[in-house]
Amino acid sequence: MLAYVANLATLICINAILAVTLNFIMGYAGIFSLAHAVFFGVGAYVAALMALQWTDSLLLQLAFAMTVSGLLSAALALPALRVRGDYFVAASLGFQVLAVTVFSEWKSVTGGIGGLVGIPPATIAGHAFVNPMEFLGLAAVALALVVLLTRTLVRSSFGRSLKAIRDSESAALAFGKNVALIKTLSVFYSSAMCATAGVLYADYLSFINVESFTIDASTLFMAMVIVGGIGTVWGPLVGAVLLTLLPAVLTYLPFLPQTEIGSVQQMVYGLAMVLLMIFKPDGLMGIKQGEA
Amino acid sequence: MLQTSSLPTTPATLLEITGLTKSFDGVKAVEDVSLQLREGIITTLVGPNGAGKTTLFNLITGHLRPSSGEIRWQGTSIVGCAPWKIARLGVARTFQDLRLFSHMTVFENVLTAMEKSAWFWQSERATGAQRRERARQILDATGLLHKADVRANDLAYAERKFLSLARIMATDARMWLLDEPASGLDPRSYELFVALLRSEVRRGITICIIEHNLEIVVSISDRISFLDQGRLLADGEPEEILSNPHLSSIYFGERNS
Amino acid sequence: MLLVQLIINGVQVGALYGLTAVGFSLIFGATKIFHFAHGASFAISAYVFYYLYAVLNLGWPISILACSIAVVLFGVTLDRYVYVPIQRSNGSFFTVFVASFGVAVVIQNLIGTVFGRGFISVSSALSKSVEVAPGLYVAPTAGIAIVIAAACFVALQLFLGRTNIGIALRALSESPALVRTFGLNPKAISTCAFALGSLLVVPAAVLTSMTSGLNAAIGGRVMLISIAATIVGGVGSLRGAACAGLLLGVAENLAVWRFDPQWSEAVTFIILFTFIVLRPSGFFGRVVTS
Repeated sequence: MLAYVANLATLICINAILAVTLNFIMGYAGIFSLAHAVFFGVGAYVAALMALQWTDSLLLQLAFAMTVSGLLSAALALPALRVRGDYFVAASLGFQVLAVTVFSEWKSVTGGIGGLVGIPPATIAGHAFVNPMEFLGLAAVALALVVLLTRTLVRSSFGRSLKAIRDSESAALAFGKNVALIKTLSVFYSSAMCATAGVLYADYLSFINVESFTIDASTLFMAMVIVGGIGTVWGPLVGAVLLTLLPAVLTYLPFLPQTEIGSVQQMVYGLAMVLLMIFKPDGLMGIKQGEA
Repeated sequence: MLQTSSLPTTPATLLEITGLTKSFDGVKAVEDVSLQLREGIITTLVGPNGAGKTTLFNLITGHLRPSSGEIRWQGTSIVGCAPWKIARLGVARTFQDLRLFSHMTVFENVLTAMEKSAWFWQSERATGAQRRERARQILDATGLLHKADVRANDLAYAERKFLSLARIMATDARMWLLDEPASGLDPRSYELFVALLRSEVRRGITICIIEHNLEIVVSISDRISFLDQGRLLADGEPEEILSNPHLSSIYFGERNS
Repeated sequence: MLLVQLIINGVQVGALYGLTAVGFSLIFGATKIFHFAHGASFAISAYVFYYLYAVLNLGWPISILACSIAVVLFGVTLDRYVYVPIQRSNGSFFTVFVASFGVAVVIQNLIGTVFGRGFISVSSALSKSVEVAPGLYVAPTAGIAIVIAAACFVALQLFLGRTNIGIALRALSESPALVRTFGLNPKAISTCAFALGSLLVVPAAVLTSMTSGLNAAIGGRVMLISIAATIVGGVGSLRGAACAGLLLGVAENLAVWRFDPQWSEAVTFIILFTFIVLRPSGFFGRVVTS
C-alpha cells in the first residue's frame, strides 16, 4: 500500500513540474503550446541515453537535458513567435506531430517504438536512488525548486514584462519591451525546466518510449493547467494532483473496461476543458483569487 | 498647407516627419504629412474622427510601417525600427483605449513601465529600491498612491486615465505622444490632469497630444496641427488656426465628425 | 511512372484536403473562431457514413444525407452552445480554442471507443484501381474526388458572390458591424458559416473513407492539415486554402518517393514551418505580425 501511494505521489510531483512549467508560458506569457510533451520527451531521452551509455549522475543528466531541451525550444520559438499567437499554436501542434515521428523512427537514438529499457537508476555523489521513498523525496525536492525558481521569476522584472505582454502586447512594445526576445526566453525556461521532469521520469521508470510523449500527453498537461487555474501559483499543482489521481479513480469503476481507461481519461480532460471554458474559464483556483 | 508660422526662437527639432504616407489597400489613411515636433513644445493634433491622427502616432512609434516618407528622431531615421526600440530611444505613447496591464496592480503597471531590460536583472543605474521609490512618487503625483495594490482592471474610469499618465511618467522618455488622454474626465480631474501635464512640460518633456476637447487644445497648446482625411491642412499657432473659418467648418461640420 | 502515380495520388488526396481546409478557412474567416473541432466534424461525417453505408447497408443517398445532417448539427450546436456562450462571457481567442480543442479530444476518443482504433475503409466498385498505363493505377474515386472538389469550390464561390447569405458571410469577415448596418443578425450569419463550413467536409470525408481509409485519429490529422493549409494559403483566402491543401497533398505523396512513409506527416509541418518563417502571410493573405 505504501509503495502504491509513494508511486502515485512521485508521479504527481513529476506531473506538477510539467504543469507549473506549462503554466509559466500559458498563464504568464499567454503563449499556448501543444508541444510541451516534446520537451518532456527530450529530457527523458537525453537522460536515458546518458544513463545507458555514459553516466548515471543525476546532476549531469539534468544539465544536459535542460540545455538540449532549451536549445530545441529556441528553434521552435524564434521563428514561430514573431507572428501571431494562434500561429504558434499551429506550429507547436505540427512540432509535436513531427517529434512523435522522430521519436518513433530514430531507432538508433530513441529505440524506436520499442523505446529504451533498462535505464540504470540515477545517482547523486555515488548514492543511487533505488528506494521508492528516496525517489519520492528527490522528486518532491525537484518540484519545490522548480516552484521556487518559477515564483521568483514571476515576481521579478522579467515576470512583469511577461504579464505585460499577456495583458497587452502592443502596450508592452510601446513601453520598450522586446516582446519576441522575452517570449523566446520564457519558452526556453519552460522547456528547460520541463526537461527536468523528463529526467526524473526516465530514471524512475527505468523504461521510456514514445507513447508517453504524444499529443495525448500534451493534452493532459494543458488540461492540468486549465483545470487548476491558469496564471496562478497553486493552480497547476491542484490540476496535477486531480488529473494524476484520475486514472487511479477510474480503475475502480467496475463498468469501465481496462482497455478504454486511456480514452475515458482523455474524454474527461476534454469535457473538463469545454465545461470550464464555458462556466469558469479561470479554472478552479482562478486568476482573480490567486496572486497573478 | 494653408498657413505656417514660426516661433521667434526655434528650439531643436526632436522628431521630423517628411512626406509621410500610409495606404491600406489603396485607401490613404495618412497622405504626404510633414511635421516637426520641437523640444519642449506642446503640439496638439486636431481634426475630425478618422483624420489619421492615431495612424500618425502608430507610424511614429513603429506599430505601423509607412508606405512612403521619412521619420527622423534627432536626425536619425527610425522608419522600419521595431516599436520597442523606438520606445527605448525616448518616444513614449499612450493609447486611446488605454491598454493598461489589466491584471497587474497599479504599482506594478508603473514599475513595469520603468523597467527596460528584458533580462532578469536591470542594467540601468537605478537600483530596485530607487525604482520603487520613484514609482511611489509618481503614484503620489497622480493621486493613485492609495490604490497602489489595486488591480488595474478594478479602477474607476478617471483613475485609469491617471494610471495611463503615471505609466508614461515612469518612462524616461523625452517625447510623449498622448492619444486623447483626458477625454471623458470630469472637470476637477481634468484640471488636475492639465496641471500635471504642464509641470511635466516644465521639466522639459516634449508632448504631442491628440485631442478633441477644444478647451484643452486652447489652454495648453503651443502649436496646433490640423489633420483631415489623412492630410495636414494647417500647422501653426493656436490663435491663427482656431480663428480660421475654413478649418472650423471642416471640424464642426459640413462633414460629420 | 512512380512519380506520375504519386502525383495523381497527391492530387486526389490534395483535392480533399483543400475542400476540408476551405471549410475551416470559411469558418475562421467569417467568425474569427479557431474551430479546432473542424477535424472532429470530418471524423463524425466519415464514421456516420461508414456506419450507415458499410455496416447497415442503407445505400449511399441516405448515408450521405444522414452524415450531412449530423455534421451540420454538430457544427451549429457547437457554435450555439459552446462558442457563443464563451464569447459572451470572456471570449478571448484562447478560451474558445481550448473549448474547441476539448471537444475535438472528446469526439476523437468517443469514436475510438465506439468503433475501435483500427483502420477501416469503405469498399465500393468506385475504389477499385484500374491500370490505365503500365505501372499506373488510378481508381474512379480519384477522378470523382477531383471533380467534386472542384465543383464544390466553384459552387462555393458562386454562393459567396451571388447569394445574399454568401455576401453577408463575406461582409462578416470584414466586420460584424458591417453586417448589422444591413439589418442582418451577425449571430445568424455566423451560424450559417458553421453550417456551410461543416457541410464542406462531407464529400471529403465520404471519399476519404473510400480511398485512404479511416481511423479514430483521422480528425486530428485532418485538423493539422486544415490549419496548415489555411496558414500557408493565407488567412482569409479561400482560394489560398484550396491551393495550399492541394500542395500539401501532393507534397505528402511526393515525399514517399524519397523518404519513408512515416515521414509524410512531417512534411506538412515542415512546409507550414517554412511558410511561418519566410512568408507568414501565406500565398494570398495579408501580412500578419503581432
